[in-house]
Amino acid sequence: MRTALLLLGFALAACAADQAVIEKGRQEEQRTCLPCHSLRIIHTNRLSRAGWNKELDKMAGWGTKYTDRDAILEYLVATYGDDKPVAPPDMSADGRAKK
Amino acid sequence: MLTAAAARNLKAADQPPAIAGKRPMILHNDRPEDLETPVKYFDTWVTPLDAFFLRQHLPRPAIDPAAYRVKLNGLVSKPMDLSVADLQKLPQHTVPATLECTGNGRAFYSPKLPGIQWGRGAVGNAEWTGPRLSDVLKLAGVDTSAKFLEIDGADSGVMQTPDFVRCMPMEKAMHPATLLALKMNGETPDIHGVPARLIVPGWDGTSWVKWVVRLTPAAKESGGFFMNPGYRYPKYALPPGTPARPAELEVIEGMPVKSTLTSPEDQSKAPLAPMVIRGFAWAGENAIERVEVSTNGGATWQNAQLSAQKLPFAWRLFTLNWTPKDPGYYTILSRATDTAGRVQPFVPAWNPSGYLWNGIDKVGVTVEKA
Repeated sequence: MRTALLLLGFALAACAADQAVIEKGRQEEQRTCLPCHSLRIIHTNRLSRAGWNKELDKMAGWGTKYTDRDAILEYLVATYGDDKPVAPPDMSADGRAKK
Repeated sequence: MLTAAAARNLKAADQPPAIAGKRPMILHNDRPEDLETPVKYFDTWVTPLDAFFLRQHLPRPAIDPAAYRVKLNGLVSKPMDLSVADLQKLPQHTVPATLECTGNGRAFYSPKLPGIQWGRGAVGNAEWTGPRLSDVLKLAGVDTSAKFLEIDGADSGVMQTPDFVRCMPMEKAMHPATLLALKMNGETPDIHGVPARLIVPGWDGTSWVKWVVRLTPAAKESGGFFMNPGYRYPKYALPPGTPARPAELEVIEGMPVKSTLTSPEDQSKAPLAPMVIRGFAWAGENAIERVEVSTNGGATWQNAQLSAQKLPFAWRLFTLNWTPKDPGYYTILSRATDTAGRVQPFVPAWNPSGYLWNGIDKVGVTVEKA
């Protein structure tokens, strides 16, 4: 029983650690991506870990400076991995001049 | 720590914004603007500006038409800077042509690919008006040793993002249908690249450089990210999901034959009554010869009626009158053939950037007793 509780404790701690990393990655995304473009172009993609890794390299080549590259990668894979369902993009609001 | 500007941008991302001048569009991105036309908007031969798709690689430049100049340099005898008024003085021509994003349909490839997940609406047909590019180049005395033309758009990168520069063979640059458009559908929408947008009929959208500010004839093909590795296609088809072989990638020139069904809407319902199946078909530098439609998942096909104008570069609308016999779910397909005999494939070749999707189009409709 004690062993089981301990194991549960470790599992919860690991999960919380993952969540903390993912949250850190989410903040890293806002800090590093938003200066150049909005996030929709990221969030409509569903890529493997290798795919996201390649995208991060591409953006680094174009001047993005990550402070925690591992966290943003974990966040992208956990949230927009190729095993995640595709969400249809939003529709823009009506931009025609009011008559 | 978020900067104030980043925080503002984040807040703005919560509510889908309006894009000036546009109807509600499929919003792939709002900064810069990447908008797809919902197929139900396509009901005319000329696509209205307020429904025309948008693909911006880089932030849209601020344009002052009065100060705008197109620089001609490189292999020319008279380097010059042309104003919009100078371009207006040249003979003006109007070319109807279909513009399609190179990645239209990327979302249909499997395995999935990075990039904008375009569905079926990164395409439109417009009437483009302006001087022939050949007339502009002749004005500067383009040299016969020039084999390529480098074209620079006013959009430039953020941080070290590459500048938007393209290059094309002089033969296509001098083609009479290749224009420096000052107008699109008779108007001057700077969001679509005027005062001076390159019109390269029959070629993929990436060649149609917006806000042209420099034309440089050169002896050799030049590059930059948007020529290499960007916008290349494998010479030999690859197994899906495998990496590109850089030595075997080629610049995309021209576009395949393709059709898109616009009505009925995919996964819609229709009463058990006569209906009209509609769509459009286009074929790069060729014209459309035939569109066949199937209402039974491809078991049998019928020729659709085509709109009268059989032009290279511009799409043709098609219709098929259809009366379903029974209620139930129907899979409707369209398959185009062009004047060169090219036919839309069942399975387009997967490629590492997800370009040139042209699979037979498919919609499903549930027919219900009236």
